[in-house]
Amino acid sequence: MKTALITLASFAIIIIFSASKGDQSFGTSASVYIPIQKDTSLQNSIKRGKTVYEDFCMQCHMATGEGIPGAFPPLAKADYLLNNRTKAIHAVKYGLQGPITVNGTDYNSIMAPLGLYDDEVADVMNYILNSWGNSSDKPVTEKEVAAIEK
Amino acid sequence: MKNFSILLLSVLTTVIACAQNPKEVKDNDVPITVSEAYEYEVIVPDLINPWGMAFLPDGSLLITEKSGELIHFVNGEKITIDGVPEVYNRGQGGLLDIQLSPNYESDGFIYFTYSSTEGEAKGGNTALMRAQLSGNSLSNQEVLYKATPNTTKGQHWGSRIVFDDAGHVFFTAGERGERDINPQDITRDNGKVYRLNLDGSIPTDNPFVGTENAKEAIWSYGHRNPQGMLINPETNEIWVHEHGPRGGDEINVIKKGANYGWPVITYGINYSGTDITDITKKEGMEQPLYYWVPSIAPSGMAMVTSDAYPELKGNLLVGSLKFVYLEALYLDENNSVIKREKLLDGVGRVRNVIQGPDGFVYVGVEGVGIVKLVQN
Repeated sequence: MKTALITLASFAIIIIFSASKGDQSFGTSASVYIPIQKDTSLQNSIKRGKTVYEDFCMQCHMATGEGIPGAFPPLAKADYLLNNRTKAIHAVKYGLQGPITVNGTDYNSIMAPLGLYDDEVADVMNYILNSWGNSSDKPVTEKEVAAIEK
Repeated sequence: MKNFSILLLSVLTTVIACAQNPKEVKDNDVPITVSEAYEYEVIVPDLINPWGMAFLPDGSLLITEKSGELIHFVNGEKITIDGVPEVYNRGQGGLLDIQLSPNYESDGFIYFTYSSTEGEAKGGNTALMRAQLSGNSLSNQEVLYKATPNTTKGQHWGSRIVFDDAGHVFFTAGERGERDINPQDITRDNGKVYRLNLDGSIPTDNPFVGTENAKEAIWSYGHRNPQGMLINPETNEIWVHEHGPRGGDEINVIKKGANYGWPVITYGINYSGTDITDITKKEGMEQPLYYWVPSIAPSGMAMVTSDAYPELKGNLLVGSLKFVYLEALYLDENNSVIKREKLLDGVGRVRNVIQGPDGFVYVGVEGVGIVKLVQN
């Protein structure tokens, strides 16, 4: 009986997913980000960051941060991003060129400078660091971005 | 048993959730293969984003860097030209295409498009300027057109420039991230192909001259973000390609006053995977000559007319930013695409491609520079 219930539940879930016509992977489809704390200023920054992301980043890194295999690295659960906070902010602020390794895959391309203001860099970093399975409990601030030099 | 069911559940849901939106596959597409027939030789090294290029009559080369630098490459040396207007280097904006006047030998004019902050409102929009090269600086700058209003959005500026042989300059401006406001409205700039006389005045036979409140420089509308344009030397038609959203990049044959449909009709979907519209065709809106699903992110377009590459003669070359190759599209006598190949696979983000006056093909690659296409 228990098995039957679980099987039934499986089908129900499968049907729901089929109907939703999602092309996103299971792990990232439910919500774009999960609030990790009650800090409204961070939540507002993430909200603004989503707008920046959709304007400046999404064409290459895609809506759910998966990137384009072989061309543009992922941001979702990306070790390079999560382990190199300062380098990541530097890349968003000034662009990035040359070889990097993300989640075991080598990339050697170029991201031209985006022309973002420091507050926009902070917002989009907060969005990226708190989306698609990423989480960071230390918000990026405009001051932190301003302090990173070329 | 329970564990097995849960495992099965996970596997099934993953498989189904990863299945593509049916609109992310193009039925009966012309397949693309990788060609090993070409290599490249670096002509101008170390460029970040070589957006546009134009050869001068002496064989030297003018190159625009998106960041706002105009480079004169002469005898193996890069000279930075002074007097370039300040550009709004934001997102996809910056210093864009560059072309010589068709009467360059007599008028000396260089035409270029760029992201301009001119005007009161914050932000910028696409502008067309002409100027003359005097030594290492630009003189006699004239803004021939400045799209309005300014916006701080980083998206969709276009832009490419071509000339016909009847004294007109054509250029494109993208819809600036306002798809529901700009492309279908001829009283607004953006999402348009424009036609001007060489001095910037509006030809009296432009399609919307006399239409109330229309931007009379508009030649065609309903575009998203056109970054490739050429005049087909056999038919004298203007061909433009434009970026779709997720899928739906298009090559269009441009007709006077025609509507190319964005965003009412499209073969693309939103980046989030949701639909933009249910329809891909509509009365009164033009169908593309070819469209790409998935998007290749096309930039730059040239038709090979020289004998330097016998296989490519009469066919199209289009840069792919997204998949980092140069696409060859082979055309039959009706200009239908019958074969596609990836040339220089993996070369880098291909921003621009032209056929030089020597008949060879030159390709602008982000982070690499200007390279010459060489047949093996």
